[in-house]
Amino acid sequence: MIRLTIDDQQISVPEGTLVADAAAKLGIEIPVYCYHQALGPLGACRICLVQVEKMPKLVTACTTAVQEGMVVHTRGALVDKGRQGVLEFLLINHPLDCPVCDKGGECFLQDYAFSYGASAGRYDEPKIHKLKDAPINEFIILDQERCVLCQRCVRFMGEYVGEEQLMLEGRGVQTVVATVDHQPVVSPFAGNVIDLCPVGALLSRPYRYKARPWNLERVESVCPHCPVGCTTLATGRDGHVVRVEGRPEADRHWGWLCDRGRFGYDFAYLPDRLLAATVEGEERSAAEAQRTVGGWIAQAVASHGPESVAILVGGQHTVQEANQIARFAREVIGTERVAMVRSTRGYLPSALNGTFEDIERADTVVYLGGDPYESVPVVHLKLRDRYRQFPDLKVIGIGSWVLTRSTLPGQDVVVEPGQEVAVLAAALKIAAGEQEAVKVLTANLGDWRPSLTGVDPAAVEDRLRELGQSLLGSEHLVLLWDGKDAEMESVLHAIKTVREERSAVLPMFGPANWRGFEQAGIDPHFDRLDSVLDDCIAGRVTTLLVFGGDLLREYPDRRRAEEALAAVERVVQEGCFAPEGQEHYHAIVPGAGWGEVVGSYVNLEGRPQTAGAPATPPGQARPVRTYLLAWAHALKKNLVFEDEGRLPGMAAAARAAVAPVTRPGDLARGDDELVMVGNTEVMEGGLPSEYLASRVAEYPGRVSPQDALRLEIGQQGGRLVVEGSDDTIMVNAAPDPRVPGGRMVLPYGIQESPLNRIGEGATVKVYRREEVGAR
Amino acid sequence: MSQARRYLLRNQDIPDIDRIEVYEANQGYQALRQAFNQYEPAALVEMVKASGLRGRGGAGFPTGVKWSFLPDDGRPRYLVVNSDEAEPGTFKDRELIEHNPHQLIEGMIISSYATRAREAYIYCRGEFRRGAEQLRRAVAEAYRHGYLGENILDSGFSLDIKIYRGAGAYICGEESALLESLEGERGNPRLKPPFPAVAGLYGMPTVVNNVETICNLPPLVLNGAEWYRTMGTEKSPGLKIMSVSGPVNRPGNYEIPLATRLRVLIDEYAGGMRDQRGIKAVIPGGSSVPVLTADQLDTPLDYESVLAAGSMLGSGGCIVIDERTCMVGVAARLLKFYREESCGKCTPCREGTYWMTDVLNRIEAGEGKPGDLELIADMADNIGGKVFCPLGDAALGVVVSAMKHFADEFEAHIKEHACPMGARLYYDTVNH
Repeated sequence: MIRLTIDDQQISVPEGTLVADAAAKLGIEIPVYCYHQALGPLGACRICLVQVEKMPKLVTACTTAVQEGMVVHTRGALVDKGRQGVLEFLLINHPLDCPVCDKGGECFLQDYAFSYGASAGRYDEPKIHKLKDAPINEFIILDQERCVLCQRCVRFMGEYVGEEQLMLEGRGVQTVVATVDHQPVVSPFAGNVIDLCPVGALLSRPYRYKARPWNLERVESVCPHCPVGCTTLATGRDGHVVRVEGRPEADRHWGWLCDRGRFGYDFAYLPDRLLAATVEGEERSAAEAQRTVGGWIAQAVASHGPESVAILVGGQHTVQEANQIARFAREVIGTERVAMVRSTRGYLPSALNGTFEDIERADTVVYLGGDPYESVPVVHLKLRDRYRQFPDLKVIGIGSWVLTRSTLPGQDVVVEPGQEVAVLAAALKIAAGEQEAVKVLTANLGDWRPSLTGVDPAAVEDRLRELGQSLLGSEHLVLLWDGKDAEMESVLHAIKTVREERSAVLPMFGPANWRGFEQAGIDPHFDRLDSVLDDCIAGRVTTLLVFGGDLLREYPDRRRAEEALAAVERVVQEGCFAPEGQEHYHAIVPGAGWGEVVGSYVNLEGRPQTAGAPATPPGQARPVRTYLLAWAHALKKNLVFEDEGRLPGMAAAARAAVAPVTRPGDLARGDDELVMVGNTEVMEGGLPSEYLASRVAEYPGRVSPQDALRLEIGQQGGRLVVEGSDDTIMVNAAPDPRVPGGRMVLPYGIQESPLNRIGEGATVKVYRREEVGAR
Repeated sequence: MSQARRYLLRNQDIPDIDRIEVYEANQGYQALRQAFNQYEPAALVEMVKASGLRGRGGAGFPTGVKWSFLPDDGRPRYLVVNSDEAEPGTFKDRELIEHNPHQLIEGMIISSYATRAREAYIYCRGEFRRGAEQLRRAVAEAYRHGYLGENILDSGFSLDIKIYRGAGAYICGEESALLESLEGERGNPRLKPPFPAVAGLYGMPTVVNNVETICNLPPLVLNGAEWYRTMGTEKSPGLKIMSVSGPVNRPGNYEIPLATRLRVLIDEYAGGMRDQRGIKAVIPGGSSVPVLTADQLDTPLDYESVLAAGSMLGSGGCIVIDERTCMVGVAARLLKFYREESCGKCTPCREGTYWMTDVLNRIEAGEGKPGDLELIADMADNIGGKVFCPLGDAALGVVVSAMKHFADEFEAHIKEHACPMGARLYYDTVNH
């Protein structure tokens, strides 16, 4: 530890600490523009000048490391003069358009000019003119005149994200921030530059001219779009969310968001948001629908008993709402037929669940099935952060296509679709077959050997051994699981049992708040949902209440879900948007969504975080408790919800830790057939957004370049007919070199191309759209 | 004129010394053989230290000391020769590479041997097309003759030299910006520490030396450290090339023993002033250093004496300014150079050089206002010592010293609303 004195206060900090950070620990403000702890020192803006005794000149606090016995003065005539000079220089070419600048009121140039600047300007020469209102992509506008050239944005994109899409162009006073090759910035993390920009140079287009900071209510919130649960500040104005910003948490994270979370808040006021109820296809007031549905429930309970009512929970509901629903089910109705709407079959026991601190310490990271960049984007940034500090980080992708990417290089084990579990089990068997857990795990596997893309059959054994050793021999293992295959749970148990060092799993699957639902008393196991649907099909359920989730869109087998809905006498949906297959629903009531109710979300770490409500529900949309209380009243039951922050704690039933995995069958597909592979992509499915419409892939399906050539869809992609055994869908697909031949990767939840009509793992025939007529 | 034997500028005496045959016939590559035969690398570093050779790029840092900063940790090392000579008034490296490229190459091999670098780069100023061509040709010749490549002259030492052409940015003469540029990045200076000796090119230990510095190596090895110390002073021994420009009779490069008096350089080497004009001021070390006045012409040209006189020897670009020249014009024109060449990274240099140039241009154009001189002085205070790299401080050298020594001239511009010398710069800003 190094002891030093800053403004007569003593502090001890670790060696290598910068003076700026040491001062911050003492609560002493040193102004900075270019310096950001995540990016490291740069020394460009010079605003952080401080005086260090025995040094001949002022030094920049952001580039000077502490030294034993150092005496620092952060104010004083010399320092104040220096800062005043820097501010004056920053302002000479700065346009004084604060009154029309969105940053006005929360701008560090204004703040510092007020605190450290001169009261009058001396600049009498013409100002430099640069580009104003220049979009760098569809979300972000750049005003080069307002820019102070701190380079935070350029360095964030290039050094931190590793996607070099911004640069400095020109020299001297004509230096500007520009996009590389003047092409739009396409990184899904680009929105962070808005938060990073200390002045009004990079601004959000959706938020543009929407409000002044003093009209706003800025509340602490949590992003509801994926299980990462990034902490945000949600800004409300006149009952609407008009902006979402990242919210850093000291010593935890930097508050980065992906663009899905930053700009995906407009669902609340899209034209198809539910503002009134529908009963039997007729629009009704929410109050009337509430009474009608209450009557249905009371009638069902009276005529067929409480178990004739089943309840499904999904969507963006908070933990508290889910708990209210669970209590309504048990205490008011008395039914145990409660399940979660899900699109993947896996479940992760809490005991295996890791936290982001595991990423900060990891030496080996394994992607199981999916690419975190696509399904939980900010986890990719956390991994990048780790990689920047620990360049030896080993990244392994195990999936049916190449999961690693250039921003986080690694090795891939590309397996046949659906064989991730068996390949891992086989690898464990080779590396540690003598272990009891592995013996149980691989009891049914026999001498099975996978075929791995790009690996010579003779080398497969070595490749698996290497993989097994990485899984078992690494010092701190983090596994990111896509949750697709329920048998993975056994593999994860086995890995943990056999390993001596720590391993941790982070679930990448949804719904975003599934851990919260679980805590609230909703069984997250997929077979629970299956059994409720069985009960529906068998006629044991007459009334089905769906809260939040969209069953037909999310459930992996659409036919079965349709069958279940059709079999139920009355299906009631609560939510922000009408579900797919509206004809199956007898009543749809408008619900309040994210940003409109205060509540908690539990993220993929199992960490509860609270989201405030800067907005009010539109139209007749109501929080779920309104309906629950009314329906309790209809059942003449008393239900009291305490508004306590305490989260209910209820874990799902424990299961046998390690069970044998299934031996994969022989591969049987024709040369012209493809196997469908599902993928969770944060831009697909979930809450709709018009702002993000341009970011939703035009060609979401991906096939290998060879298959694309055979299908004649060209480089750009084309429209394909995908013919399954029972159904046919249209898919816009494009070639992707990461995808090997013989398979098509398709995100879940695309309304135009519903994978659940064909089924994950299904062997399909694929044609180009134009050929259909000719056939 | 007393012109002793020339060492660094032998090309002025020996025609076609840029051809390897002629170079070899004139003791060429003898120093290299001698270095391999007589010196272990460490001994060579000690010899250079003993000679007192100082960096000729401008800062004058002892070369041998710089070499000894390289950490001995097994990582690859690089030698980078700074041939990005772009300082107004300095044109010595250009002559060295255009007319005697083998001298540089031989010096580089010796320096690489001493520092145990296996790869060396020449960062050549983009505008030096002929120089780059000469270097390319000479490097190819050196490979053909076995002076470069594997196992040079059976010494067991191997070296490759690569030539990289810059793209015309003055800042890339600053060693860390040069390394950025050499790596393919934008040529902005890097944060120090770490210094290049610890983390330079591609993060590896790197020596960056000026062309002239390296060209000192062959004569130094041939003649020894003691010979080198027979010239100059205790702290500034040896030879220095001075580039003389301005209204003198024979502008050009002159090799002088250090501590030669400025008057001797101008009168004897450069043939005195054209048309017997009087000298108003001299910028002795390139456009980045303060001016000396006519009564300082007896200053000996060594690092310490010039510093004591209030300026710096710098890169040896000696700009002679005659009495007909307007000092406001000089200041405005040189500052404009720095405005154009500021990389834009740090605020005071980027904005300050712009603002100050505008004000100086205005004064020179007769549109000065009372308070302008105080404003410039205050601006200079807000730039000086507060910038990221030496460029911002360098920009001030001439302006501040000219305002100090020629205050009357500046005030007259403002009072008379015109340049008393009759000169007029066109009033320009970046916008026009």
